[in-house]
Amino acid sequence: MENQLLLENISKVYGDGDTSVKVLDDVSLQVKAGEFVAVVGPSGSGKSTFLSITGALLSPTSGRIIIGDKEINKLSPKQMNQLRLEKIGFVFQSANLIPYLTVQDQLLLISELSGMQNKKAKNRVDNLLDRLGLSHRKSHYPESLSGGERQRVAIARAWMNNPDIILADEPTASLDSERGRAVVQMLADEVKLHRKAAIMVTHDKRMLDLCDRVVYIEDGRLSE
Amino acid sequence: MFLALREMKHAKLRYVLIGFIMVLLIWLVLFVSGLAKGLSSDNASSIQNMNADYLILQQESDHRLTRSTLSEENLRDVRKYAEVDESTPLGVQMTTITKNNASKKMDVTFFAIDVDNMLTPTIIEGKMIHHTTANEVVADRTLKQEGLKLGDEITDQASGETFKIVGFTEGHSFSHTPVVYMNFNGWSTISHNQTPNQEVFNTIALNISENKVKQIEKNVSNVEVISKDQALQGIPGYKEEQGSLMMMIAFLFVIAAFVLAVFFYVMTIQKMNQFGVLKAIGAKSTYLARTIIFQVIFITIVSLLISISLTLGVSFILPDSMPFDLSVQLIAGCSILFLVVSMIGALLSLYRVSKIDAIEAIGRAA
Repeated sequence: MENQLLLENISKVYGDGDTSVKVLDDVSLQVKAGEFVAVVGPSGSGKSTFLSITGALLSPTSGRIIIGDKEINKLSPKQMNQLRLEKIGFVFQSANLIPYLTVQDQLLLISELSGMQNKKAKNRVDNLLDRLGLSHRKSHYPESLSGGERQRVAIARAWMNNPDIILADEPTASLDSERGRAVVQMLADEVKLHRKAAIMVTHDKRMLDLCDRVVYIEDGRLSE
Repeated sequence: MFLALREMKHAKLRYVLIGFIMVLLIWLVLFVSGLAKGLSSDNASSIQNMNADYLILQQESDHRLTRSTLSEENLRDVRKYAEVDESTPLGVQMTTITKNNASKKMDVTFFAIDVDNMLTPTIIEGKMIHHTTANEVVADRTLKQEGLKLGDEITDQASGETFKIVGFTEGHSFSHTPVVYMNFNGWSTISHNQTPNQEVFNTIALNISENKVKQIEKNVSNVEVISKDQALQGIPGYKEEQGSLMMMIAFLFVIAAFVLAVFFYVMTIQKMNQFGVLKAIGAKSTYLARTIIFQVIFITIVSLLISISLTLGVSFILPDSMPFDLSVQLIAGCSILFLVVSMIGALLSLYRVSKIDAIEAIGRAA
């Protein structure tokens, strides 16, 4: 099976000289298509930095990252922007939907940003919402959705640009365990169905059985 | 525009509120501008509309026409450098008149001109005076509002001389009083001339090139040449009136810039996290900046349209005697200036947007 995501000897150092802090220390990870990996660790272990670097939000101090077939560690901030739009789907901690957009518009925003054809985009939105059981919520604003529904919209948004990898930052943090589990289940199903790679950062141990692989992170080092 | 329009639709109230402030500000600016323009022409249209580029005054007369006294000798000196049809004497006398057989007093300004030269006003009713008659005048039509008509006789209070109105002109006022044109025969009867065989007047109007102006300044003694604009500033009260109105207008523009700047700055700070998310999912800074610029321009244009209609609506119900003059150029100028000012107001927000880091979206629970 081919690798959808490849991290090779990634290090991230903040500051320099005597005051430098090594947040990630020689981290390597491979995720194959259709694989759902959980990254677990205490707070301060470098989880967020790890996710930021994988998601092309932050450049590593050293090391190589390849998403799909593209090496991203040497891109300019502008190119990273474009790459996030095309190749990466994010699911944030508390959904982070745009408050003034309806469920449908949350997804259409992605197609607007990437210049997708309007009709094609609408079809894709309908499909996604249908699959995630949100069709009846199409023209609702985030404020009238439940926490679980919001997180499902966030998942649908992450899928909208047909990304190579999905990155989820504690997607269950604001949900009770039952709903959190349903959301993670849904994420896992989508990953399997479309053969994408996904990484979920979490500290919720109850969700780990839904993942294919669990990676532990502590003091900036990964271990399985 | 996808985000800009949807956001304004969702948060109608706050955008309507800021729009309302803008409408009031622009309305006030347009109204005060119209008033300034109206007052300016009500004050000094005779100078503004004068068919001359420069005026010659006696030295040390402080740019004030009424303070200057020139003689025929000065005119002869000046005419060494300017042709006869390029230079003409003008007498200015502010005075009070009464309509014959009535006791009501009116302030007017007598303008004594050479009726065959370039200062001859356009007649809208009646006929122009002849250079031989001594007791006929042409009055500005604002005197009609005071009940005067063709054929009426007016008496100058100071000299007791009586004149017959044979024609009306329009757009001629001086220091907020209507101008009454007469020839130099009439002028000699009202002016207190100490030298019987010499005409005395206040200024010489010139329609000459800059080159000739320099020659006159160099070679003619005891006179100074001022432009029409300087003469306007020299009309009693003109500078003060326009200056205070202009200061109000300038302040309103500054206030508008700050109101917009503060509003969008606070909105932008409030949305930093949201902008972080948008950047994380691939929106470029330029896209977010365009969203803000679109909103600013949208609010400004809508406010402008509302304010312009309000101002025009009000100008229709204003009484005729109210000096209010709003031209298309003035509206267009104000509108463009407002757009520029609002863009300046948006700069602060654009700066913040350019500094947004997508990383704000990660590890945040808000």
